[in-house]
Amino acid sequence: MSVAARSLRAHLLRMLLPPIAALLVLGALVAYYPSIEPATTAYDQGLIDVGISLGTYIRGGDDGYRLELPVAVDQVLRRDSYDNVYYRVVGPKGEEIAGDEGLPGPPADVGPRDGFIPYDTAYKGQKVRAVALPAKCGPAPCSVLVAETTVKRRRMARDILFSSLLPEMMIAVATVLIVWFGVKRGLGPLAKLSDEIKARSPGDLRPIPAAGTPEETQPLVSALNGLLDEVAQASRNQQRFLANAAHQLRTPLAGLQAHTELALAKPLPAEVRAELEQVHQATIRTARLANQLLALARAEPGARGNAAELNLKTLAEGEADAWVHQALARDVDLGFELDWAPVQGDAFLLREAAANLVHNAIEYSQRGGHVTVRTGRRDGHAFLEVEDDGPGIPPQERERVLERFYRVPGTAGTGSGLGLAIVREIAAGHGANIVITEGAGNKGCRLAITFPHG
Amino acid sequence: MRLLIVEDDAPLASGLRRILEAEGHAVDVTSRGEQAVLAAAQERFDLVILDIGLPQMDGFEVLRRLRAGSPDKNGPMPVLVLTARDAVDDRVRGLDLGADDYMVKPFAMPELTARVRALLRRSQAHGGPRIVHGPLTLDTVARRAFLKNEPLELAAREWAVLEVLLGKVEKIVSKEAIIQAVAGWGDDLSPNAIEVYVSRLRSKLEPAGVKIRTVRGFGYMLEEYKGN
Repeated sequence: MSVAARSLRAHLLRMLLPPIAALLVLGALVAYYPSIEPATTAYDQGLIDVGISLGTYIRGGDDGYRLELPVAVDQVLRRDSYDNVYYRVVGPKGEEIAGDEGLPGPPADVGPRDGFIPYDTAYKGQKVRAVALPAKCGPAPCSVLVAETTVKRRRMARDILFSSLLPEMMIAVATVLIVWFGVKRGLGPLAKLSDEIKARSPGDLRPIPAAGTPEETQPLVSALNGLLDEVAQASRNQQRFLANAAHQLRTPLAGLQAHTELALAKPLPAEVRAELEQVHQATIRTARLANQLLALARAEPGARGNAAELNLKTLAEGEADAWVHQALARDVDLGFELDWAPVQGDAFLLREAAANLVHNAIEYSQRGGHVTVRTGRRDGHAFLEVEDDGPGIPPQERERVLERFYRVPGTAGTGSGLGLAIVREIAAGHGANIVITEGAGNKGCRLAITFPHG
Repeated sequence: MRLLIVEDDAPLASGLRRILEAEGHAVDVTSRGEQAVLAAAQERFDLVILDIGLPQMDGFEVLRRLRAGSPDKNGPMPVLVLTARDAVDDRVRGLDLGADDYMVKPFAMPELTARVRALLRRSQAHGGPRIVHGPLTLDTVARRAFLKNEPLELAAREWAVLEVLLGKVEKIVSKEAIIQAVAGWGDDLSPNAIEVYVSRLRSKLEPAGVKIRTVRGFGYMLEEYKGN
């Protein structure tokens, strides 16, 4: 089921991240262009100023023009902290007058702006920004080109970009974090809810408390509660059906048993008596089987009754009379060693489990055998055990005897093979475990049910 | 003794009737709760055997009405409840409403007749001063005991223990229950002391065929007298 499960967080982030990234780019662009434009203009203006200054140093007459630029001025004009500054003065006929030879002129397709032509080009293998401005060579027009490398412009562009991107990046990171932890926090009540459901015993069909769960999960909780209610209802119906079925079966069986016993009390031909004895035994077995199937059905998770605080000692004392009479009927000595043994459990099922253990021990004991029922606590764990000095169960059979309908090969008696399976189901339903060992003096067998948390 | 059986399952009702008639009782049978209530209002039965799962008026309601009626001068009519359900609350409800005993169907006939005898004996003891158990007779007014019509010497505590056991023939009685019942006789009693009284009772009663069985680690049971 986890295969198709989608993380709500991952899903939210997948939905949120592309728009956030797009917004980031857009925001950067929106902040960049309006601020790069005036800055470029300001730097261009610096070049223009250099150009205008250069223009004032053009001298000459008919024999040609030259730039009479003192070295000190040249140094001042070229001085720049970041960039190299280049210039070139071109005469009216396009002749070279002075400056850095080979500095490219403006491309033909760029027109003048406010009398100057700003343009980007390359010089000495470096990108440069240049302006071309008109100057006077006497009466004739000539032009001055001034260029500089783009270090400070790039630096400025980077600064602008960073100063606009940084806050936006922080907002984006904050958004992701808010989604990540917000979802976790928002789903917290759900996690609590699932922990609570996990901690429940399988038979616990009480509604889940809706208080404390977020409004959005209320439909989920109420749907779950609806389902739980239906299951509980079905379980109650099943209980009622079982009770009725038991009634329907037991009453005719009681009648059958009464009449066979009446008939057996009369003088009968030996053959008829033997047949009737068989009918009588079958009746008793059928009644017992009906009880066992009922117990097995009741031990199913979901059909289980509510657990209550009870004491195995009291439980055994309550059944002692019935068990002793069963034992007397088979000439078995049934004894008790009962100590305080508090457990959480279903009284009906635990009584049935104990009855099955006692019945088995009596059934498989020889005449004059001894069976002992013990309750108490060992290492803080309540236990109930039944020990006999009968034939015992071979170690290799001890696992299998707990299976439904399994009977140890060669066993005498008329058991259905359900008794210990019922005990196992009931023990499992109570989180208890069963251990089969030899009885005292390596004789017979001891079955102990040990319960969790005493 | 007059017995009333309230059971809607005809084969079971007729079986019960024949078994109890064979025991020498006069037995009336009805399948309806309403009729049982009417019959019990008109005449006294020494014991009512009442099925819980009756159509229309169920056994609980019958029991409630029997107990709600005006108390008879001979005390309440003993009621033995039969139930096909094993739910615990059924038992508790039955006993809370005043049933004297219950049996879960199906049951062995000897067990039924033993319970019926015990209940009848108890209701007689309720009215009369004499408790009879086979060859043993206790005159509770004169506080004298007889075994095979011979006077039987019993110490006060032996008498008390025997009286408790006679009240629950064929039922096991824990040592604690005996101590509680005998505690009125004075100082604290240990379970060992009870063992001593029981062993003295045994030596006096067993020659006459009255047997007290030990239930290891639990208590004792006065067996039904089966002749000597």
